[in-house]
Amino acid sequence: MNGPHTLISRGSPPAAGALTAAELSALIDDRPQDGAFRVHRTVFSDPRVFDLEMKHIFESGWVFLGLASQLPRPHDYLTTTVGRQPVVVMRDSEGRLNAFLNSCRHKGAIICPLTSGNRKLHVCSYHGWSYDSAGRNRAIKGRAEGAYGQAFETESHDLASLPRFGEYRGLLFGSLSADVPSLEDYLGDARKLIDLAVDQSNEGLELVPGYVTFTFNGNWKLQLENCSDAYHFTSTHPSYLRVLDRRAASQGSGGAIRSVWDNDRPFESGARGATNGTFSFANGHVLNWSISQPSDAHPLFERIEELTRRFGEARCNWMFGTRNLTLFPNVQLAENASSQLRIIRPLAPDKTEMLTYCMAPIGESAEARRRRIRQYEDFFNPSGMATPDDAVLYEDCQAGHQTPIAEWLQGYSRGAGAASAAPNPLTEGLGIAPQSSVLGGPDLCDESVFHTYYRSWRDRLTRGIERSGTGAAQ
Amino acid sequence: MSGLTHQDAERLLYLEAHLLDERRWDEWLDLYTEDAVFWTPAWRNEDEPTASPDTELSLIYYEGRSNLADRVWRLRSGLSVASTPIQRTAHAISNVLVEAATDQAAKVKSSWATHVFNPRRKAQHVFFGRYEHDLRREGDRWRVARKKILLLNDYIPTVVDFYML
Ligand code: FES
Ligand SMILES: [Fe+2]
Repeated sequence: MNGPHTLISRGSPPAAGALTAAELSALIDDRPQDGAFRVHRTVFSDPRVFDLEMKHIFESGWVFLGLASQLPRPHDYLTTTVGRQPVVVMRDSEGRLNAFLNSCRHKGAIICPLTSGNRKLHVCSYHGWSYDSAGRNRAIKGRAEGAYGQAFETESHDLASLPRFGEYRGLLFGSLSADVPSLEDYLGDARKLIDLAVDQSNEGLELVPGYVTFTFNGNWKLQLENCSDAYHFTSTHPSYLRVLDRRAASQGSGGAIRSVWDNDRPFESGARGATNGTFSFANGHVLNWSISQPSDAHPLFERIEELTRRFGEARCNWMFGTRNLTLFPNVQLAENASSQLRIIRPLAPDKTEMLTYCMAPIGESAEARRRRIRQYEDFFNPSGMATPDDAVLYEDCQAGHQTPIAEWLQGYSRGAGAASAAPNPLTEGLGIAPQSSVLGGPDLCDESVFHTYYRSWRDRLTRGIERSGTGAAQ
Repeated sequence: MSGLTHQDAERLLYLEAHLLDERRWDEWLDLYTEDAVFWTPAWRNEDEPTASPDTELSLIYYEGRSNLADRVWRLRSGLSVASTPIQRTAHAISNVLVEAATDQAAKVKSSWATHVFNPRRKAQHVFFGRYEHDLRREGDRWRVARKKILLLNDYIPTVVDFYML
């Protein structure tokens, strides 16, 4: 509980003079030849930047919607947002998934007001138009008596489909613009890292029932960065780590759940070889990772032999390692203390909503599931012992992001000298070709991984500005 | 020895509220049995809170008082920025109802609201919901063997900690 609190978005004030592509581009001081990369603080605070992000990133490119396993049966649906637009994903009677604008064709009322459910027919509460689970208009109340003109009769009254909708291994994405690369191309080699999460079970991934939503009074990119920020871990979360020590000392008496880090802490200082690092991909996707001895306190441990047999030891070790995967711009699969799927929803330049779930391999044992959930709650919940410290620090950062002096942030330089585009045994083992990799010990804590966020961000926004002509006078 | 009276129930619930608001953490912990369950469910959807902590997500679920002692330790440690300063709370409990009581055990339902003020952000919020206390007689006193905290407004502004519930 930290900010003046409203339950709805405050939105952003009207832009006072839209930014030109050149002005936008100048907010990222990216000079590879000088080894310089700096970010201007107003990217976190300027409402004009926020409007551009909504238009040219969230509302005109691939955005994560949900998991197919959230909609197992015909007529299941879930609602979400793409940028500022309400969206509903539905499974039709044939089992096909589709995504629609969750807005009635008549006067725009929300068709599915709830987070999820199962319905054959969606009847609009306002004037009673109805739609089936394939989005087809089934009835217009009083149509015969309505004396509609010719034009109306020839129009489609079906729910508006998202121009692009796609699935990769159960992860559903949609785009409000048709002018996007294929989902495969957009995700690129980040797909191989999605595989590491999905392959933990033959049946794939599911979300544990129950979701947790919280907000913080800070920009959405603070969350984007934090997920791939190894540098903060020991300084932001000492209270959590010390609680783990207390529990380890009590030897499991008193009902405490064991941590995956009971035996080996891959973030702890000291030379260990190349156990930690980052991979950066095109389009802003990144992985921050560490590898350690698979822990017998890991919920996956019951499957270690099977996974080793199927995927080999190296790949199996990756599944047990810490992997924080960001699929730009709005979803993160964080596997560290437990396993989380989080959806980032920007509400305003200085307000972000986080929808968070415990994700888990389908079919794990009851004991593994119980442990996973306990490990999750302690670390990931806004009522737990780690995430609250992150979220409060986002707000502390945001507080300084309107300053007219010292406006260039210095948090993007660590690791730059270790970044390499060349393949290495780890990338080869995973069959990936990242744009940049950093390999090192636990103390390197690469920050150059953020570069791909901001390069993709800059390229998407400048291209958007140029195409739409807003502020494009040069 | 007789069963828990309505007045006993109120006294215990109000005492717990005061101990939390006055940050008398050790006395608060002492209200709980060693094997106490402390549970705040999450929500599955608009209508249903999660009901089965081993297969569904909770906001907080602990079996064993030492887990609560860990949370108290974290709060006092100075190592958590989210707990520095500790926020100011005022718990208000009402609608206390003894549902069942024997010599040894009792179940008490109530409604609660906690006003929370964050002196660092100059911001405030009210969390509210319903409690279920399962009480157990230990010697000459009643202790909390299980507390279920249903949080009705689960759209959480940044942080909610056990002492705000
Ligand atoms: S807005 Fe849906 S029927 Fe009128
Ligand atoms: Fe963190």
